[in-house]
Amino acid sequence: MDRLEAPISRRGFLGAAGALGGAVALAACGGKSKPGAGGDTGAAAGGTNYNGPAVTLAFWNGWTGADGDFAKKMVAQFNKANPKVKVTMNVYEWASFFQKLPAAVQSGNGPDVSVMHIDDIPTQAAQQVIVPIDSIAKTLKFSESQFAPAVWNGGLYKGQRYGIPIDVHNLGLYYNQDLFDKAGVSAVPTDENSYMDALDKLKSKGIQGSWVSPFQFTGAFMFESLLWQFGGDMFDKDNTKATWDSDAGVKALTWMVDLVKKGYSPKNVGQDADYISLKNSKNAMNWQGIWQVDDARSQKAKIATAPLPKIGTQKGVWGNSHQFVLPKNGSSDPNKQAAARFFIHWFTSNEAEWAKSAKVPAETELAKSTAFTQGLSYLKSFADDVPAVHFPPAVAGIGDAAAKLYDAVQAAVLMKKSPESALSTSAKQASQIMADNKKKYG
Amino acid sequence: MTATSVDRTTADKPTARGSGHRRRIRRAGRATPFLFLLPYAVLFIGFIGIPAIYGIYISLHDYDYLLPHQPWVGLRNYTDLFKGGSRDGADFWQSMRATLIFTLASVPFLVVLPLGIAMLLNKAFPGRTMFRAIFFAPYVLGVAVIGVLFRYLLDPNIGVVNHYLHDVGIDRNIPWITQLPWAWISLVAMTVWWTLGFNAIIYLAGLQDISRELYDAADIDGASRWQKFRSVTLPGLRPVMLFVLTVTILASANMFGQSYLVTNGAPGNDTRTAIFYISQVGLRQYRQGAAAAMSYVLAIILILISLANFRLFRSGEDRK
Amino acid sequence: MTTVTDRPRETAPPPPGPSSSGGGGGGRVLRRVLFWLLILVLTLIFVLPLVWMVLTSFKTPNAATGNDQSWWPNPFDTSSYDNLLHSSSLPVMRWFVNSLLAGLGNTILIVAVDAMAAYALARMSFFGKRPIFAIIVVTIFLPAFVFLIPNFLIVSKLGWLDSLWALIVPSAGGAFGVFFLRQFFLGLPVELEEAALLDGANQWTIFTKVMLPLSRPALATLAVLSFLTNWNDFIWPIYVLFSPDSLTLPAGLSSLQSSARTNYPLVMAGAVIASVPVIILFIIAQRHLIEGVARSGLKG
Repeated sequence: MDRLEAPISRRGFLGAAGALGGAVALAACGGKSKPGAGGDTGAAAGGTNYNGPAVTLAFWNGWTGADGDFAKKMVAQFNKANPKVKVTMNVYEWASFFQKLPAAVQSGNGPDVSVMHIDDIPTQAAQQVIVPIDSIAKTLKFSESQFAPAVWNGGLYKGQRYGIPIDVHNLGLYYNQDLFDKAGVSAVPTDENSYMDALDKLKSKGIQGSWVSPFQFTGAFMFESLLWQFGGDMFDKDNTKATWDSDAGVKALTWMVDLVKKGYSPKNVGQDADYISLKNSKNAMNWQGIWQVDDARSQKAKIATAPLPKIGTQKGVWGNSHQFVLPKNGSSDPNKQAAARFFIHWFTSNEAEWAKSAKVPAETELAKSTAFTQGLSYLKSFADDVPAVHFPPAVAGIGDAAAKLYDAVQAAVLMKKSPESALSTSAKQASQIMADNKKKYG
Repeated sequence: MTATSVDRTTADKPTARGSGHRRRIRRAGRATPFLFLLPYAVLFIGFIGIPAIYGIYISLHDYDYLLPHQPWVGLRNYTDLFKGGSRDGADFWQSMRATLIFTLASVPFLVVLPLGIAMLLNKAFPGRTMFRAIFFAPYVLGVAVIGVLFRYLLDPNIGVVNHYLHDVGIDRNIPWITQLPWAWISLVAMTVWWTLGFNAIIYLAGLQDISRELYDAADIDGASRWQKFRSVTLPGLRPVMLFVLTVTILASANMFGQSYLVTNGAPGNDTRTAIFYISQVGLRQYRQGAAAAMSYVLAIILILISLANFRLFRSGEDRK
Repeated sequence: MTTVTDRPRETAPPPPGPSSSGGGGGGRVLRRVLFWLLILVLTLIFVLPLVWMVLTSFKTPNAATGNDQSWWPNPFDTSSYDNLLHSSSLPVMRWFVNSLLAGLGNTILIVAVDAMAAYALARMSFFGKRPIFAIIVVTIFLPAFVFLIPNFLIVSKLGWLDSLWALIVPSAGGAFGVFFLRQFFLGLPVELEEAALLDGANQWTIFTKVMLPLSRPALATLAVLSFLTNWNDFIWPIYVLFSPDSLTLPAGLSSLQSSARTNYPLVMAGAVIASVPVIILFIIAQRHLIEGVARSGLKG
């Protein structure tokens, strides 16, 4: 159990990050360019610097949390350091982001640079919203060995590279130390027994200790983590059908619903209320994304993070990765394209800086570097969990299928349906959507 | 140059003044009426005529305008809606049900409560204009302001509504936006709060249009307040009331912003209205074919309701 | 045609009701008290949510979601406004200007085009007039959302996505205004026009110099209704506008809500900024606005 500010055990962190496997040593940390990526190739080749005329780049993303504020700071830093390129950043909620981006690109008003998750890349690539960027990966001298396989392969669609990874973000356990002290919970729960034990102690003090959100953020992520912990998976191996209605899925969702039924969580938790109540010292534990770390650190209540407890038979953690993409642009101004490449290069070179916005760097060596392990010790518990992270599959149209799961989790947590029926109906619908997608996208 | 005429013969309602005789005066060339019609015709054809037909074309394809090919699927987008276990069938009818529930729950309030407000405002009292403006004000703020405001006020855990209910002794957190029937109560209540003033203003004009003499005559007959309301006010308001009813039904059937902003369809898509669903399918999932088919099904149902209303209106007129 | 007057008509019954059924003096006082109590309660119901909105906008994010829900902001924090008014990604004032431009452009287009068409349909005879009018009227019964998907694609082909043209032009194809103005024109006496004709005026002169001035109330009503409809339109702008600089207030607020998530003071500040100009406009144009709405319920 560590307070966010507490010094970390470096050994533990290295052990975890080492499990990812990494080969290329990188000296990258805040502000400096990667060695080896140097060499002025001029504006057209793009990448390491930009010498063309002054341009403005529109940069769209869905960073609605503290990470968005941080990205804004980085963009300001970039603008200051590179007066020829002015980046303007716009934030949309991810759901509306994917409604706006295709239409904007289609109408020639799309952004010049963008960021999306690995599971969105194939859909957008198939709809020709984003373009292949193999050349950038080459200029930036990125290679597979630098990244976890799922992160690296997530940027590929039909053999071409569309995404440049910048981070891994996963779920972790946030807990309220004040409430733990009050209830006499001395150790942060790591498995089901200690979790339930802590909940009972909290309950005896009148505290509902583990609020369950019925929404995708982060109830559905909690379910996905539990599904893997009980040995299940979201989809079958070839991504042809949804398999979350397996026994493992039912166990996972039943466990969540039981938290509500047994009074460890209120019924009908509103969107984000699980996390807000943690800050207000009404909720003691919240399975929450790494992106809230900065916010949690600034609270009056003592809020700390720990690896997700192992409720099922094995470790399992929901996670995803942000990747830079280049939207197809009607204007196809070569200067803008070059500037966009330069911006991506700059941003990825500053991955360690980006990690400060509460992200684990995508590059494994960087995740092991002292700049990250010591400078950002409060992210340690998340980095510890990275080996157990499951990423969503990168298949075109998968988002529509996964949305059915979010509905099912909501229906079950709000006790409108039993876990079994919610999961089996939604899995059937999702499988059908996946079959449709196969036809549509090939 | 052929003569066109001052044509009052085709007028629906000949005016009282100056009618009864025909005069034909040469006034303009053959092209003149069409020149007057032209600007509107361009807009009408471009954004009503073509879309109405283009929509049918879209609905017969598996249409995603981002993809190079739009495969022909015939009537499958329609038949799928009526087939159990299809991708959209259950969700579409669930959203239709949501629209129906909202309409049935909100229309009575929006027809009756504004009448009460209008009768209050029809009295002479100081500050009447100001109160009229206050009750109308939410309407001009628009659904976006109202939506984000009520999303915050009604939050079950941090909202001020539950906070004060707690203070007066209601201990449990009422799930205003996450559970039925509360979510419907919230959506209906905020819609009433938002648009009540609009309907009240229309009623108020109707009330002021009722001849004072009818009330005087009723007074002479010694009618009670209630009798006057029933035998003078209500009949006098009949056309206005039917107008309000028609407009309100259509507005409720078109409900989108409130559930988009406040409940986001929760719980479990129960408050996701038909238009909400159609727009998601067409403009978020990029399946325009299915979305177009669904809008036609909904449109046909609404047209039937409108026609029924229209007949009701007509029969009401005839009885006079 | 009736207008809702500021002062009740002289014949209106005195408060709180007709004296004939008023009963004794005590009853009247009681009635008056009840009447004012009712008005007071209603006013609070309408005003308090808005007050809460304004006060929240001056709170800190934590205070707005904390356990202590006091009315008065403590500390009093204006940073939400600083953020919004200096933000390039959330340009609230730009949204207001966009809303205004779209509303005015759309209103002017509708009134101009509909008046011309309605004049032809009301006062001229020409080949195909009946079927043309019938087709136009039938579309009044078609709900607007039927055109959502096809119009989205048409607007996309015209290159109007993400521009105000998408809000100004397509909805001007609607038939309500034509029908409404035609009914009004039919109710006007033809003598003035005939006199103008005899003086040698052409149709355009008659239309602009005789018809339009006579139709001011109807034109104003149509203008008010069109503007309000456009101002409040939500579903269309959130799907056809994307970049922060091209959003209207409803679309902008929606994106503010989704991007700021739990920063309620920021969202409420956005709502306040969106409301203040409208409220000012509303206070200035209150009479015309309300009378315009009032007239829509009465025939022609």
